[in-house]
Amino acid sequence: MPDPTTVPAATPHLQLVNVWKRFGEEPQQTIAVRNVDLSIEPGAFVTLIGPSGCGKSTLFSMIAGLLPPDSDGSLLLKGKVQQDGAMLGKIAFMPQRDLLFPWRTVLDNATLALEVEGMPRRKARAKAEALFPEFGLGGFEQHYPHQLSGGMRQRVALMRTFLFERDLILLDEPFGALDALTRSMMQRWLLDIWAKHRRTVLFITHDIDEAIFLGDKVVVMTARPGTIKCEEVITLPRPRDPGVVTTPEFMAIKKELLAVVEEESLKTFAAVPA
Amino acid sequence: MSMSLSALARSPVASIVYVAIAWLVLVPLFRIEPRYLPPLPVVIADGISVWPDLVAGFWRTLIETVLGFLAGVALGVGFGIAFSASRIMERAFLPIFVALQTIPVIAFGAIVVIWFGNTIMAKVVIALYLAFFPVAVNTLRGLELVDPQRIALMKSFGASRLQLFLKLALPTALPNILIGMKLAVALSLAGAIVGEWFGDTVGLGVMLLQALYFEQIPRVWMLIIACGAMGTLLYGALSLLERRFVWWRAD
Repeated sequence: MPDPTTVPAATPHLQLVNVWKRFGEEPQQTIAVRNVDLSIEPGAFVTLIGPSGCGKSTLFSMIAGLLPPDSDGSLLLKGKVQQDGAMLGKIAFMPQRDLLFPWRTVLDNATLALEVEGMPRRKARAKAEALFPEFGLGGFEQHYPHQLSGGMRQRVALMRTFLFERDLILLDEPFGALDALTRSMMQRWLLDIWAKHRRTVLFITHDIDEAIFLGDKVVVMTARPGTIKCEEVITLPRPRDPGVVTTPEFMAIKKELLAVVEEESLKTFAAVPA
Repeated sequence: MSMSLSALARSPVASIVYVAIAWLVLVPLFRIEPRYLPPLPVVIADGISVWPDLVAGFWRTLIETVLGFLAGVALGVGFGIAFSASRIMERAFLPIFVALQTIPVIAFGAIVVIWFGNTIMAKVVIALYLAFFPVAVNTLRGLELVDPQRIALMKSFGASRLQLFLKLALPTALPNILIGMKLAVALSLAGAIVGEWFGDTVGLGVMLLQALYFEQIPRVWMLIIACGAMGTLLYGALSLLERRFVWWRAD
């Protein structure tokens, strides 16, 4: 596995330059995202943490092309500036909720993006079926979402995201609603999948352990208006086994990040509405 | 065996049997005058005596009802979609439709008969007029339930407006459209019967009007049973359709 820090010469896969998002007009203006600069190298797994309500999701919507950033900043994909809405269909985006369609079988939920792209249903199904064992869903092709557990539903949503074959994947707290045990299994499983498929991943979480365990780089956002507070390159060796979270190296990183995140979280409590 | 018996005892068919038994027993028991409620055997005998007319009338009214219902559903779904797609359409047309619904169907029926004469078309139009409103309102309501996050997801896949509609909005709205259709089917039947009152020679509504005119009380009760059977049949068919094809609910 190449260490992303050793290849700075390559064009970043995704680059955010001075990205802002303001809502409303001047006196009552709310700034959701302020002056965000971020670059993600090809094939890297970048995790983003920050206090709740810090504008993470707004930032994600902008990267996904669902929300235009304010005109003073720009978004670059593989070095090319993306105008409003140009990102739609270019990245694989997985929101917090699984958002499966209740009237579709698991198989047809997985092929949704392929169908939207115009792939014939048969071909799309064949392609998805091949992935079922790897996603731990073998034998559940013809089930409906309401028959699955939360962890399985999340894997179906992840499969849908992976089948939408884009080099850049955005994951918005995909394991946020799962219990701790399922969550840690899903994390290891995601790393396996990522190692096999080599996509660039931007992963939002509010769990510091998760951010460090998964990431090549952890990006910390400030309290609202959200901006990048600091970036921490994680050099823990891969593949990472669950025991890594108890190593002194891990603890040292966690301690450092915890201090930063706590400081920001306290600000959201102290904030007095104007 | 006892399980299936108790299940049978609670089925919709059983409740019909209970009513029939109550009718059979209570009328002689309380010596109810035939003018208020004739004995069930008399009602059944009356039905048998006019059986060919009854069958012909049943078919005619059924055809009018079904045609009016289908046209009403098509129009209702169409307007529901148009309303959800355009605020201007909703602002312009929905109040008119609400106002139309307050017009007594008798008044509207008179106009329809002037337009279409004593044709089957007149009955179909009256049935349609009653059927389309609940369908339009429920279609609109169903389409408004579409989850904005699912829309965002589809857009992130690069979905077109048509794909958004066919793959997301319409399936989300279907359970509500079915609710509208269940309301509409009963109204269609009422519309077809009222339509027949304006003049025709065949149909349950025609027979009902004649029975009222000649004070044939058992005939009136027999026709009430026939209309009830038709309504139940149509509603049951829709319920089956729903259970088979539209079993999900918007979450």
